Amino acid sequence: MKQLLKTRLVASTMLVASIVPASAETVITQWDQFATSGITAAGPAMDELIAACEKALPGTKILRTVVPSIGIRESYRLAVSADKAPDLAYTWPAASVLAGYARTGKLAPLDAYYAKYKWDGVNAFYRGRNSYKGSLYGVPMEQDLMGVYYNRDLFKKLGLEVPKTYAEFQAVAAKVKEAGYVPIAFGNRDRWPATNTLSLILGLTAGRDAEEKVLFGDGSWNDPAFKKAAETIADWATQGYFPRGFNGIGYDEANALFLGGRAAMTVTGSWVLQDMARGAKFDLGVFMLPPIAEGVPAGTMWGEGSQWQIAAGAPDATKDAAAAYVDCLISPEHRQIWVEKGFLVPIGTKAEDLAGWNTLPAVKEFYAEGLKTPDTNFYDLHTTLPESVTQVLYPELQRLVGGDATPDDFLNAMQQSWSKAVANGERWQP
Amino acid sequence: MMSQRTAILFVLPALALYVAFVGIPILQVAAYSLFSWDNGSVTGFAGLANFARLIDDSVFWTALGHNGIWVLLTLAFPLLIGLLLASILAECSPRTIRVLGAIYFLPRTIPLVVAGIIWGWIYNPTFGLANWALDMVGLGALGGAWLAESSTALYALNVVGAWTFFGFCVLIYLAAIQAIDPSLYEAAQLDGASWIKRFRFVTVPLLKPTTLFLGLYAAIEAMRFFDLVWATTQGGPGYDTEVLTTHIYKTFFLVGDFGYAAALSVVLLAIVLTVSGVSYRLLRSA
Repeated sequence: MKQLLKTRLVASTMLVASIVPASAETVITQWDQFATSGITAAGPAMDELIAACEKALPGTKILRTVVPSIGIRESYRLAVSADKAPDLAYTWPAASVLAGYARTGKLAPLDAYYAKYKWDGVNAFYRGRNSYKGSLYGVPMEQDLMGVYYNRDLFKKLGLEVPKTYAEFQAVAAKVKEAGYVPIAFGNRDRWPATNTLSLILGLTAGRDAEEKVLFGDGSWNDPAFKKAAETIADWATQGYFPRGFNGIGYDEANALFLGGRAAMTVTGSWVLQDMARGAKFDLGVFMLPPIAEGVPAGTMWGEGSQWQIAAGAPDATKDAAAAYVDCLISPEHRQIWVEKGFLVPIGTKAEDLAGWNTLPAVKEFYAEGLKTPDTNFYDLHTTLPESVTQVLYPELQRLVGGDATPDDFLNAMQQSWSKAVANGERWQP
Repeated sequence: MMSQRTAILFVLPALALYVAFVGIPILQVAAYSLFSWDNGSVTGFAGLANFARLIDDSVFWTALGHNGIWVLLTLAFPLLIGLLLASILAECSPRTIRVLGAIYFLPRTIPLVVAGIIWGWIYNPTFGLANWALDMVGLGALGGAWLAESSTALYALNVVGAWTFFGFCVLIYLAAIQAIDPSLYEAAQLDGASWIKRFRFVTVPLLKPTTLFLGLYAAIEAMRFFDLVWATTQGGPGYDTEVLTTHIYKTFFLVGDFGYAAALSVVLLAIVLTVSGVSYRLLRSA
């Protein structure tokens, strides 16, 4: 009896062994922030592309975890410090934080994959933002732009035209206020929204070259163009462009104020396009804020915001599989899915591509405007500054717009924090 | 009667869990504070350098000051309100005591994050209930952006803290009052003492140990609270509601400076342990 059992056991083991395929699948653990609504609402596109790429890459299996964008940077930092980082992650913020992980050897260099897959669509600006000491560590995918969403119906009702100059913009804001509406829906309780607004204003007062002198060179935050930017955002607050108590209003609440028709404009990014386009019960328009200082070229704050990164600790086969999978995700044939299902416009997408795809008019309009000025577009501060400086920028900016600090106080605090970070080797340079 | 050896054996599992989940993490944090870190990775031994940084860290001192103000305000209001309400409630029928006691205690059962969200809506400058109510009674001019202005943010937040804590004070005081010998009140009443006099000369002195317990409990809680601030202001506007725990959170999770965050945590632990030690001695002597 015992012998019979033994024989059966051996036979069944051999049978099972013969069923298992010779090459086991490579499982890639992936963290991303693509939800189905709110900021970065590209979840449906992500799901569809995982299915498409798993099919295109037999033997590759994606084990996906959605980490809400609001907490992903904290979660990822903890995972990295415990050497438990996922094989592949798509996180914000980019540039400076990415450089921090590269500096400590936690990310895999990707130069060989860039060469192998010919990711030439990633231009020098984006490559710079994903590099550390000459090596590439991230694969940017989406383009984030800042612009001014406006309520076309309200503009018509008040007899307003889209401003072409900064003086016209100021006149529009004044007229909106006079009519009893909030000129710019702005809420800074979450601390980061003012950083984006300042980034946009800074680019339009200083220009990209002057920004780079400070951010990557020896320039000081007390530069007159930086002071002009600080004065401008403080002036918007004192002129009453923002709603009452804006430092106590959340980002979503500010968007609701705009979508509810109580504000004429809101200055924010393409990352919230889906909510804007779907939530607006009025004719939604987008324009780019005109240059603020004389001689500064038109442009907008842009960047990838987030990027794909591969953990240094992942096995080589997993790294190779992850790179092939990223190549699939960012391939030109999949751009349309990102746009149509995710309201996310991948790098390399042209305005004429968008014109032919089934997406919301606001998406087409936003990118058509933003893509007109690729050579002069400028930096987003909170993905460019080291985290230690960002954590000074947030409160100091709240104090500046809240009227508790002067532009000089603000710039002095920034310079002090900046000098410390530079001395500590925390600065990211492309 | 169980032998000492058996008793120790019963205590051991709990002790092991305590050591694993409290003792070792505390030692780990203390060890972290002796190293310098970069983005969550150790870069070298720092000795006491992280502690030396505290001296020049203006945010630390601001936060510590806010914790101090919070302690004082918590001692002043929830305890006082709790004492008064409990004294009044003690004279009501058992049914009223049960119903009102449950109502007063309800805010205590709400997680602080939820309380923060609720009060965030109440204080909201655009659609908040607080400004609307002031408008309704003709005091609209007094309305403001409660959590967004330097002059009001910390105090407005403390009101939320008091709202979640006073019910606990009511229940504890009520239990203590009910334990007071009724003959003391009867004697005072026979001597012609009014309610206020009975409250002042009988209730308050006999509740000294309870007041001490609640006060020290409140002080310890006030040093370590986090969720309420994080859910409402994240320490803002500027640094106006920054407390030690939010400073630690930002330094650890957002900046990735684990060494300095650990040093801040050790200091916070030392403060809480000191308060606890003092409270233990005072309670024993009371």
